[in-house]
Amino acid sequence: MTSEYIVFEEKYCTGCTQCIRACPIKAIRIKNNKAVCITSLCIGCGECIRVCPEGAISSAISDEEPLEKEKINVAIVSPILYAQFPGFMPNDVLLGLKQMGFDHAIDLSYYLEMFQYAVEEFIARNRKTNMAPWPLISPICPVVNQLIAIKYPNLLDHILPLKHPAGLVGNEIRKKLSQEHGVKEEDVILYHITPCFSKVVSDRSGLMAELSYMDKAIGINKIYPGLLQKMEEIKDFELNLFPYEHFSFAPGARGPMWGMSGGEIAGMKLEKVIAVSGFKEIIAYIEKIEMGLLKDMEYIEFRACSEGCLGGPLTAVDRYLAKSTVQKFLKIFGIGRRVQRKKVHMLYEKGWFFSELKPSELADSYYLKQTPLTIEDIKKIENLISVIQGNDCGACGAPDCKTFAEDVARGYADVEDCFKMRQG
Amino acid sequence: MPSFKKCFNIRSRDFIHAGEASIAVQQLLKQMHVDSNLIRRIAICGYEGEMNVVMHGGDGLFCVEIDKNKIVLNISDDGQGIKDIAKVMEKGFSTATDEYREMGFGAGMGLPNMEKNADNMIIESENENGTTVQMTFFTKSA
Repeated sequence: MTSEYIVFEEKYCTGCTQCIRACPIKAIRIKNNKAVCITSLCIGCGECIRVCPEGAISSAISDEEPLEKEKINVAIVSPILYAQFPGFMPNDVLLGLKQMGFDHAIDLSYYLEMFQYAVEEFIARNRKTNMAPWPLISPICPVVNQLIAIKYPNLLDHILPLKHPAGLVGNEIRKKLSQEHGVKEEDVILYHITPCFSKVVSDRSGLMAELSYMDKAIGINKIYPGLLQKMEEIKDFELNLFPYEHFSFAPGARGPMWGMSGGEIAGMKLEKVIAVSGFKEIIAYIEKIEMGLLKDMEYIEFRACSEGCLGGPLTAVDRYLAKSTVQKFLKIFGIGRRVQRKKVHMLYEKGWFFSELKPSELADSYYLKQTPLTIEDIKKIENLISVIQGNDCGACGAPDCKTFAEDVARGYADVEDCFKMRQG
Repeated sequence: MPSFKKCFNIRSRDFIHAGEASIAVQQLLKQMHVDSNLIRRIAICGYEGEMNVVMHGGDGLFCVEIDKNKIVLNISDDGQGIKDIAKVMEKGFSTATDEYREMGFGAGMGLPNMEKNADNMIIESENENGTTVQMTFFTKSA
């Protein structure tokens, strides 16, 4: 049983019901003692992976494959990676990646900074035009985008229609490197090294379409052991191995700071901003936006993982330890800006930052995900809930009695699946 | 004509759970694929109404009734009541205390905002004897 993001291994599943309760969109059921995912609803948050005591659930992203020697292999590095190695500097990490066989290791910080400028610009213009509704929502967290698309599609027009920084980098780097090495564009293989499997290409949503510029994704947890070994082997600092790339700056602290909740907005010159992380909290805030609150906020940074991307499901090191490493970087490097505003401004005018598809254009396709309930259905549901008088035991395979009653109304489950109903 | 009715209790000064009834109604309407703009209007009215009970009213009841053509919110409480209904309908009028203003409430937009978003609104209140606000929303006939 597999969704786009998650693999359920039946042989390890004991039907313990932990995952059905953890799933924030109630997309998992237990059928015949095994977890089954309603794949059309999965948003790839990874909560089920975290709670499964048997290790029966894992990410569907491809295992580390050996690099193809005749191709130009490029690591596009999420700055979260630096935070996994407390004893090393970001440059050591890039160097380690080169030792592993990558031809280039590209730091994302520069593009993150450009993205921040673009957000400031968008918001400044929106103050005048009021084209997009306040508060605007950061397009960075793919799980949040999916959550809004599936459960709150009428809020899709709050998502800022800018490209994700990894999307910005992908297209440009591929062109530059194919020219530089004199190879075809398809011979440049981009590996996204990521803390989060939702960032893996998913055409379904269209929300992150620009991420399909990446060819492959490698979880930080997969690359961690091998990379650590290579980094420990580096004894002397050899200048010819220096990992700078002429099209990106040396990594500083701004990049890793993005991994912390609040790190994205901390680098922006905006005041009416707020950062929220963790699933329960973001749902509460999204519901507030739906009720017309928070209109005096301009930009909200949502991160599905608590503490931000440092807590991503594919990281190797505990989120608080990683955070401490980032805080060390902040002390060493500070968070000064390096990108030239003039250059960014030009690119902005050219439309370089804008996503090809506006999230709001997708709203209709999400409304049709589930068949609508009728007045009769909801009466049946309320009635069943009051007859069961249950305590959300989960024995029927649904996360709670309400969801069970809905499943019955939709014809996905049988009343007899509830042991209280069986006893009559 | 089959209709569906459900009620939720609201407790005075319970800011932790304030808004939950509106959210539950909102989720229900979403499952029924009610027009999203309409859901939004109902959510705004529901939330304002719920907060009014939590802040000014006593304990209250939040009821939703859904039938084919309309959705009715009926929010009632046993609190202090409204002395002058015409006055509270004025934009900017507020009786919120400093404490509530610090929490971001008290802009004096509550009831006018509800009236703006509802298709029809009726307030019944007697001084010292509670308040009932009934808001009707018409669904677009298919």
